Amino acid sequence: MNERAARTATSTSIIVRLTLAATFLVFCMRLYSLQIVSGDSYQEQAAVNRLREIDTYAPRGVIYDRNGEILARNRPSFVIAVVPADLPPDDIATEIDEQRIALERLLAVLEADSEEEMAIRIAEVMFLHLGREDFKNTVESAGIDLSFRQVNLEILKQDEDGREILEEVPTLIPDLAIPLPVGGLLALLERAVAIGTQGSSYRPISVLDLVDREQAFQVAEETYQLRGVHVLQQPVREYPYRDLAGHVLGFLGPIPKLAADKYKNRGYEDPNEPVGLNGLEYTYQDSLRGLPGKRLVEVDILGRESRTVNVVREPGPGLNLNLSLDIRLQQVMQDALARQLEETGAPHGVALAMDPRSGAMLGMVSLPSYDNNIFSEGLGEEYKALEVEDDTQRPLYNYAIGGLYPPGSTFKMVSATAALAEHVITPATTLVDRGPIYLPNFFFPDDPEQSQEFVSWNHKLNILHGPMTIIEGIGLSNDIFFYYLGGGFPNFMDGLGSERMAKWMRLYGYGELTGVDLPGEVLAFVPDEQWKRLTKAESWTTGDSYNMAIGQGDVLGTPMQVMVSTAAVANGGYVVKPQFVQQMVDTQDHVQWQYEPELQERMPVDPGLLAYVQRGMWYAVNGHAGTAYYSRVEGVTVAGKTGTAEFCAYDPEIQDCTDRDHEGNLPFHAWYTAYAPYEDPEIVVTVFVYSGGEGSAVALPVAQEILHAWFHELRQ
Amino acid sequence: MIRHFDKPLFFAVLLLCGIGIAMTYSATITTIDLADYWQRQLLFTILGAIALVTAALFDYRHLELLAQPSYVFLLASLVAVYLVGEVKSGAQRWLSLGITDVQPTEAGKFLLIVFLAWYLSRFQDRIRRIAYLLGVVVLLLIPLGLVYIQPDLGMTVTLAFLSGTLILINGVRLTHVLLGVVAAGAAWPILQGTLQDYMIERIEIFLDPSSNADAAFNVQQALISIGNGGWIGMGWGEGSQNQLHFLRVRHTDFIFSVIAEELGFIGTVMVLLLLFFVIWRLVRIADLAQDQFGRLITLGVASLIFFQTFVNVGMNLAILPVTGMTLPFLSYGGSSLVSMMVAVGLAQSVVMRHRKMDFS
Repeated sequence: MNERAARTATSTSIIVRLTLAATFLVFCMRLYSLQIVSGDSYQEQAAVNRLREIDTYAPRGVIYDRNGEILARNRPSFVIAVVPADLPPDDIATEIDEQRIALERLLAVLEADSEEEMAIRIAEVMFLHLGREDFKNTVESAGIDLSFRQVNLEILKQDEDGREILEEVPTLIPDLAIPLPVGGLLALLERAVAIGTQGSSYRPISVLDLVDREQAFQVAEETYQLRGVHVLQQPVREYPYRDLAGHVLGFLGPIPKLAADKYKNRGYEDPNEPVGLNGLEYTYQDSLRGLPGKRLVEVDILGRESRTVNVVREPGPGLNLNLSLDIRLQQVMQDALARQLEETGAPHGVALAMDPRSGAMLGMVSLPSYDNNIFSEGLGEEYKALEVEDDTQRPLYNYAIGGLYPPGSTFKMVSATAALAEHVITPATTLVDRGPIYLPNFFFPDDPEQSQEFVSWNHKLNILHGPMTIIEGIGLSNDIFFYYLGGGFPNFMDGLGSERMAKWMRLYGYGELTGVDLPGEVLAFVPDEQWKRLTKAESWTTGDSYNMAIGQGDVLGTPMQVMVSTAAVANGGYVVKPQFVQQMVDTQDHVQWQYEPELQERMPVDPGLLAYVQRGMWYAVNGHAGTAYYSRVEGVTVAGKTGTAEFCAYDPEIQDCTDRDHEGNLPFHAWYTAYAPYEDPEIVVTVFVYSGGEGSAVALPVAQEILHAWFHELRQ
Repeated sequence: MIRHFDKPLFFAVLLLCGIGIAMTYSATITTIDLADYWQRQLLFTILGAIALVTAALFDYRHLELLAQPSYVFLLASLVAVYLVGEVKSGAQRWLSLGITDVQPTEAGKFLLIVFLAWYLSRFQDRIRRIAYLLGVVVLLLIPLGLVYIQPDLGMTVTLAFLSGTLILINGVRLTHVLLGVVAAGAAWPILQGTLQDYMIERIEIFLDPSSNADAAFNVQQALISIGNGGWIGMGWGEGSQNQLHFLRVRHTDFIFSVIAEELGFIGTVMVLLLLFFVIWRLVRIADLAQDQFGRLITLGVASLIFFQTFVNVGMNLAILPVTGMTLPFLSYGGSSLVSMMVAVGLAQSVVMRHRKMDFS
């Protein structure tokens, strides 16, 4: 090596070593900056990567009847879902859409391409996720033709006065019974994932629900290598008695979109969490739900849990509900009412039973009913509700608290109490039925041709009841007697008049909700002079008082209100609140909440006077020619009151009421309301049959059957 | 002769291999398909150690005879790849040998080192003349061009770096260097036109990580893994990024991130120190070498190890773009490990024979 080369070698060697040292230093500095300076931030990001807070299901409370029979319970079931965040990200460097491939593979594993039933079930779940519009648009933009069905959707609107009215709008909804090709399902899945990603992309989106254990394990095995596919446990609500207590129990469904914010404020984080949408499931939602637990779990890059790091909160199981309802009585009520509806061809009817002392509900049937299991099995709430409402008889409607009807003669207890308490009559007052009475025309008092005729039901049968006290008046349900009480008669006696009748109507609980622990109760108004002036721009007439006194005209109430008013007669003047749930107990059977009946102030009527009203109801069943003779039950004294209420279902097309008979008479609702034993009442029963006809002929036998079963088979 | 065997170098390499086996274990044990990789890496290390010792016993000066055939062989295999090579993931880099596919460029690195060392030492006194310099540039451009059109940008750059380093170290005129820079500058527009899409994309991702979610995801996860290590790391087999597979290609390209996460700043600096110690020792051998051929061979090996370390660690630390380059001695992979150890063996051969009197 010559000298120059040696010099060069030495200097290059120095340069090389300097380069090495510099590189080493740069790397160390960079490492220091990443690991030490920014270490906390990266450690946090690593934690975000691996740690996930997972809600754990808290078992929903079980619902029992008064004898411990299970009315609602949970059945284990599984859901196959995808977690958008765990799906393979789409690598834009390639033509391939990785996410689409993953979803395609999932559909293939589920055999959605070959099994029609599977395709239908997946489409149903997607319909639930996306809603009607989005579902339709997504499928159509995938180039697939949808078939539609037309249903009438009820849409809540506001009329000019700002009141909410239901309007029926014919709407096309996709027919889900026809299986979609895989392309359509794939488009729906992608859409659901895209929407899901907008919220929290870690929230699982169900693809298929109601999977049983065996199938769940099979899918879990086959999808193990599929990124982002999870098999989750999601119990299903089960109602062993199916449609028997449909209206009482209600059903579950995903949180309705319109109410999403409200639920969120109440602590419902998952928008698809099933919540009670009707019945007791709705009223006691928060108690039944309990508190979902939270676990901190470590997940791998496929989103699979590797271990639980920390239990943030143990799930708090929901409280069980103990009802006063007797499912056996409910069965009797349903059978008896259903038979009567079938015989008379009436579209719907109600049967109610309650303990008049406490308001504890013993049974409630509104027919037609529905099987609540249909909401847990298969379809989601929205679609199924449409399908059920497609039925003109509207089984989802609870007529016991949602229907307003003229109470007819069952209202005479109110008029009678008012007349006695306001001293319009005394118990000894005798009034005579001499046939129809004619109320002189207000403007032409001297022209008998212009006067208005008021008849009693017995006149049509050519019977005159002659002289009566209040007891016979109620027992025979004589209308003339009550016309006098309500409106008096010129130059003969003063009646109660509108104000005093309205006052007593309110005292009996009309014009207010009964407060039963069910959603959907409707409010009836109390007709009085002011109300008539405001709504009809007419002044109150004596004829209005006549009609009101016999529960016709503008008097309206729900069957539940009629029962509560009956109970008030039975229990000596207390309006009670009907109540199904008597206790809430925890899983250790400790009572967490006990219902204490809150007795209202007693009505301002002397118990001695109210006794005459009770006696009148006794007479109806047990007196000579009483209207409710056939409701007697062996060994028990029953007191009752029939009702046959004329009603007008106005049809704008014919500009008249529908269903008039050949003589032009209006159709009748059949009522019967009763309590027993007369001496010490423990049950009150109210039966209502829409357009059923005579109360004594149609409603009464149902009540008799119920009372008989209660006293001879069920009561301990 | 044996007493000049560089034991610190040998044990540093073995230590690095040991760390490599341990980290491969940690990176692959949770993946069923890869669970035996650490055993295979152990086997490769044993084979590599034998190869290292064998190469050390072999007199490197005999390689001078093989220099020209090496070059011809390199060109022949590259042309063979071009004509009948296997195409894998869009690049034609592999030759099928029936039993297994080989990538001629892996061995090509060493063939080129031997050939360049021979050429530069043979014409050392004449290299300052432009003709000889141009000669070596032309001889280089042929294999480089063939590798470039495979396409394999990483290997092209590696070979260019290797050759450039050797030429510079051997000594050139400053004016020639400037001339080379100007020529490269002139050629740049043409080169740019031939850059494959994936190459441009990788550079773009480096400049703007958000442009490719998937690749940026990998880099981001690597940074998180490194940052997650802190001072002392999460412990061997305990790195969450590694064990839960957030970090991808973790046993090869991103083994450095696994080391950083599980061994922390202190452990990683130790590993870097070891790597640089190995290179440092190689430079020392080059200084001791009794002839220019030995010196250049040793520096070639050193610059190869340095370049791969620099690019791989730079990529892990997100200061360089993503390339599929492995970390010497640490990344999983048999052929790269064994060839690296053979290279170290050659350097040992050089240092064992640096005293002329030993050959008497």
